[in-house]
Amino acid sequence: MEIALLGNPNTGKTSLFNNLTGSYEYVGNWSGVTVEKKIGQFKNKKDKLIDLPGIYTFNPLSKDEGVVTNFFLTDKFEKVINIIDASQLERNLHLTVQLIEFGKPAVIGLNMVDVAKHRGIQINPSVLSKELGISVTPIVARTGKGCDALVKAASELNIVNYQTNIISYGNEIEKAILNLESLIGEQSEHSTRWLALQLFEGNQYVKDYLSQFLDLKLLNELINTLQDDVIQAYGTKSLDQFIYQKRKAFIQSIIEMATERKEKSIVPLSEKIDQIVTNKVLGLPIFLFMMYFMFMLTFDWLGTPLSDALDAFISGPVSSGIDSLLTTLGVSSFIHALVIDGIVAGVGGVLVFVPQIIILFFFISLLEDSGYMARVALVMDRIMESVGLNGKAFIPMIIGFGCNVPGIMAARTIETPRERLLTILLTPLMSCSARLPVYALFAGAFFAKNQALIVLFLYVLGVVIALILAKIFSKSLLKGETSLFVIELPPYRLPQFQALWRGTWDKGKGFLRKAGTFIFAGSAFIWLLTYAGPSGFNVEMDQSFLAKIGGLIAPIFEPLGFGTWQAGASLITGFLAKEVIISTMNIIYFVPDAASLQGLLIDHYTPLSALSFMAFILLYIPCLATVATIYKETGSKKWSVFSIVYALIIAYFISFIIYQGGKLIGLS
Amino acid sequence: MLSQLKIGDKAKITDITSTEKLVRRRLLDLGISEGSEICIKCVMPFGGPVMIESCGQCVGIRRREANCIEVEKF
Repeated sequence: MEIALLGNPNTGKTSLFNNLTGSYEYVGNWSGVTVEKKIGQFKNKKDKLIDLPGIYTFNPLSKDEGVVTNFFLTDKFEKVINIIDASQLERNLHLTVQLIEFGKPAVIGLNMVDVAKHRGIQINPSVLSKELGISVTPIVARTGKGCDALVKAASELNIVNYQTNIISYGNEIEKAILNLESLIGEQSEHSTRWLALQLFEGNQYVKDYLSQFLDLKLLNELINTLQDDVIQAYGTKSLDQFIYQKRKAFIQSIIEMATERKEKSIVPLSEKIDQIVTNKVLGLPIFLFMMYFMFMLTFDWLGTPLSDALDAFISGPVSSGIDSLLTTLGVSSFIHALVIDGIVAGVGGVLVFVPQIIILFFFISLLEDSGYMARVALVMDRIMESVGLNGKAFIPMIIGFGCNVPGIMAARTIETPRERLLTILLTPLMSCSARLPVYALFAGAFFAKNQALIVLFLYVLGVVIALILAKIFSKSLLKGETSLFVIELPPYRLPQFQALWRGTWDKGKGFLRKAGTFIFAGSAFIWLLTYAGPSGFNVEMDQSFLAKIGGLIAPIFEPLGFGTWQAGASLITGFLAKEVIISTMNIIYFVPDAASLQGLLIDHYTPLSALSFMAFILLYIPCLATVATIYKETGSKKWSVFSIVYALIIAYFISFIIYQGGKLIGLS
Repeated sequence: MLSQLKIGDKAKITDITSTEKLVRRRLLDLGISEGSEICIKCVMPFGGPVMIESCGQCVGIRRREANCIEVEKF
């Protein structure tokens, strides 16, 4: 049996999902963590649970909300678990009412009862249940309290006879519903009452669905006549508002019966924190300071010592262990070289940066889980507005610091298509964790004393260029359409260690998986390219295929300060995944560990050309997975190609300025 | 006008019809419409967004939209 999980944004759906299925989906404290439906298996191994993005109503504004409406119209499922935020009962019940009208058997999980109690709201679940006609179970989704009872209530649900008419919308609408019912007849399996009401409210998805079997002109006529009738009879402004008011009156009467309010005048802690972090003067500096702190910890105070230790371990015991194992096994010298010089060098070179990446992911999880992320959007909105975006676009960008792929996915929560596209195109400029090994390597070799500052400069460079390009694109390519910014600011939550760890691990394991697959295979392949050449096998590195290919494009990079075949070759392979750049360099320069690679690099680069190279890596091209995601999200080949081309141009331009400008002012 | 209120001021929304349609819909989704009681929590500098609180939940909207919302101060 398939059970759908439905609720408002940020009510704890994903927490409940994880608790019920025992899986580890990604949980955050901001609206729109889930942008696509996810399917999990219940602990009983029989039923499936489907986690949907949060919605306020079935009439969608943004793309992630449309996923839910589409799901209800086209997918197969038997039951629904509706999770409700007890502290925001009224707006949550608007969705519940529509769910009841849909007619599928449903149960309610009443979450955040503790938050409600803090605000002086006491809810009586049995009264609520009686008035709505469906079972209500109080739960604490984060800890799992009450979840068993909820599952029990769901599994005991009867599939038949469901009442969809809990609200009477007045003569005019009721007649129109009957009228539509006779028109649809047996052509739709869905509740006609729900279809009709959604249609009258202006739900485009439902209209498209109905136009499959009814004439669009007829539908429009029906809506317009009804609207006129309702306006004439009740003097309201529009049909959708009338329906909303009817629901609201019904919901308020239920709340009146089911809740008890006590006046509480204490200021919640959340608001006290907000007085500081979203303070007029302090807001932005606090955000910048937090970012600075994050980078120092990742690159200087904690991350680098850990990485160095891991590097010593991999290049020492691990490498020599494998070496002697291969010797004992008596493998051929070809295999021996492939494993040691190819795979161990390539994969090991990337793995040593795991500590730094884990720390970075931990901070991003912390930002998400605490509720600060939404505040960042608020603080940044003024700056983003001035470049034609809105504050919400900053969330995909911060997530993009971890990995660009989920960052681009997170752009779905942006309501207006223009701003969404713009965000998708610019998120790849955010320096993802895969680029981090390149910086760590180069900054360590050339700017050992100011390592964290140099890396911070690159991150800021990515953001600044994204903002400048946003301004240019929104003035030229993507004109028009006003921007929209309304953001819900959830109460702060004390991050739980378990949730943080899961969030970090969830992101980090993608990196490890890549190291085990992509980079593993890539390293072997790149090594083969260095092993073979036009004149045969086991050639001098300079005579290998890789040198030939790299040499072909190397002259283009001459003006940028790194016109060597080694740089050219690693840039080409970097399109697969940015970490591969490091793997390639480790193989090309034929060194056992990062420390000796850094020593070698000093002969091939100057500090200035190293900086130019790092800036180029930051900007030059989104990796393969990112381009695929851009294509999937925009559905347009044109924009996917554009994302590659503009990035190449801008990278060349910026590196040129850095290198040539630096030379002009006497740096070299 | 909502944007004229100061931090800590409480008011009741009297007219929201002149805001952008999508903004109005989203505010309605969040349960904020005519008759809602609101309180100003923060105001961002340089004409940035304002944070309002209604029924215990906080929402950020732009100053431009706040200019279009008529309120009655308590």
